[in-house]
Amino acid sequence: MTFAASMLASVDHPPIDWHALAPELIVLGVLAIIILVDAFGGEDRKWAISSITSIGLLVAIVPVVTMAVDGAVRSMFDAAYVVDNYALLFKALFLVAGYIVVLLSTNYIAEGDYWEGEYYQLLLASILGMMIMASARDLIGIFVALETISIPAYMLAAWRKRESRSDEAGLKYYLMGVFASGVLLYGMSLLYGLTGSTRLVDIAAAVSGEAPALVIVAIVFTIVGFGFKVSAVPFHTWAPDVYEGAPTPVTAFVAVASKAAGFVALITVVLVAFPTQPEIFEPLIWALAAATMTVGNVIALRQTNMVRLLAYSGVAQAGYMLAPLAIAGHSATSAELATSAIATYLVIYMAMNLGAFGIVIAMARKTGSAELSSYGGMLNYAPALTVAMTIFVFSLAGIPFLAGWYGKLAVVLALVQPGTWFGYSMAIIVGVNSVIALGYYAKIARIMWIDPAPDGDTTRVRVPVSVASALVITAVLTVAIGVYPPLVDQFTGAESFLTLGF
Amino acid sequence: MPPTLTVLIAAATAGQDYSDFLRQYLTVVIMAGLAMALVGTLLGVGALLRPSRRQGDKHVTYESGVDPVGEHWSQSHVRYYVFALLFVIFDVEAVFIFPWATRLDADTELIGSGGEVLGVLGPYGTIGLIKMFLFIAVLALGLVYAWRKGVLRWM
Repeated sequence: MTFAASMLASVDHPPIDWHALAPELIVLGVLAIIILVDAFGGEDRKWAISSITSIGLLVAIVPVVTMAVDGAVRSMFDAAYVVDNYALLFKALFLVAGYIVVLLSTNYIAEGDYWEGEYYQLLLASILGMMIMASARDLIGIFVALETISIPAYMLAAWRKRESRSDEAGLKYYLMGVFASGVLLYGMSLLYGLTGSTRLVDIAAAVSGEAPALVIVAIVFTIVGFGFKVSAVPFHTWAPDVYEGAPTPVTAFVAVASKAAGFVALITVVLVAFPTQPEIFEPLIWALAAATMTVGNVIALRQTNMVRLLAYSGVAQAGYMLAPLAIAGHSATSAELATSAIATYLVIYMAMNLGAFGIVIAMARKTGSAELSSYGGMLNYAPALTVAMTIFVFSLAGIPFLAGWYGKLAVVLALVQPGTWFGYSMAIIVGVNSVIALGYYAKIARIMWIDPAPDGDTTRVRVPVSVASALVITAVLTVAIGVYPPLVDQFTGAESFLTLGF
Repeated sequence: MPPTLTVLIAAATAGQDYSDFLRQYLTVVIMAGLAMALVGTLLGVGALLRPSRRQGDKHVTYESGVDPVGEHWSQSHVRYYVFALLFVIFDVEAVFIFPWATRLDADTELIGSGGEVLGVLGPYGTIGLIKMFLFIAVLALGLVYAWRKGVLRWM
């Protein structure tokens, strides 16, 4: 027996499913490659970085698809890292969202006075954290993933150096994010102290039955910590300033991918670790959801800046997505329905919101501003962009046969399923808010279609190929899902979607 | 009554286990109180016993040394900050290598070509060694990046 063979024969390491880790490893590999290209490539090779990043993100989708076809639930490290249909759907969502953000960024970052290599490195690091978040079923894993997502995002928010608004955005995001992490960590430490385990399944077993006061504190703190991440009222105050100050592609990334990651963590923790404590989390989430959608919508009515308007609209949309969690503790069926409703909504929200930000980026190339009035007369000089933006805003409003309509339908169906006043009242609040929201979404459409151009400037908008392809992808997704909902439904409505803690 | 409130009241009246848990913190509170009392007593007794004669010279930083020159508020150069950041790379490396290294004394034997025992290898074996070097390689990327960006040059 040779030396090497004997060493290999004596190996007794914990089994690792390389197939399950392949998407994360590919993203890590691409990250290493772009660091090296950035370090050794020189100024004339900078353009390659964004191409490598986008190709790498697409390649990383391949193992996600093969695992989805395979369909097995892969569980590693004592069930601390689980790759099931739920994790796969969100990994695919984060990779596609990351790809679209890279498409939106390419020209914006290359033309401005920005650090180019580092931008894509931080973006990939953040996406890597999101993919880990989708699989993490352990408090430590969730927290590490959350920080991997957030720390690059703080820096990206301040990427427009020498621009005081961007500095403010970065600092505000950082301070609020660190505060939220502190609250979350306190809740997690209480949970660990009370149950003696960081694994969500063990916590679920330990906190079942009548909850002592400290468990209530732990659950409330954990939910509040994630509340910051998903910008739920009253923890939303950072969102408008950060969205306005950050470079617009980063805003799109934070508003869509980062928020989705917060929801993933919230669903996992609430439904795997505390499903037996609906008396505690249901009223809390009911109040958060109702406040989030109402406050978001009412403040959005009065906005005059497109990015701030989209920020408050994003706050309101987070409220719709929180709503199904308010009835998720009723039974295993309602938990499953709520999970798939939120997942459906997140996929749809990704398409329509990234599209809306894509239009803002394209228009800012001509007007140089994001004021609502600067969108006047758009129909005359940019008819294609006008139609696309109309699709996105009416989808956000929930007009039938555009994707947002199906997202709202899934939410309302999940809410009425248990047949309690709790769910019915939430469904009514969702309905009333959809009507309020139509007010400002329709205002955007009116400005684009009817109002004249503010300065009479009707030169055409030059849209770069990458931004145009991002807009085509998002617009096609928005229309296709709205016309034929099974496109997304077959992935989110699958049996044994998320292994629940009931 | 809202359900949360019911649970809260029930917990406050019946949750004895958790007051036991909280009582452990009492030790910490007593320790902190004792520490503050000890320092307070010593300083207080000192203040009562010692004579107090205020003179200008006594407020100089070094009463019996060279007279201080310039401002007492000095700033350290920003380049030290970059080295502190670089230090984090090696710090993280050490944090993960130490626990891994302590596992190397576990039960697996390394057999030489003549059948003699060369030593023992931890349960993670060769794969564990390869993984650790991969980890070090990923961290080394940070150092390579810093080197190429000219951070290591003393300016």
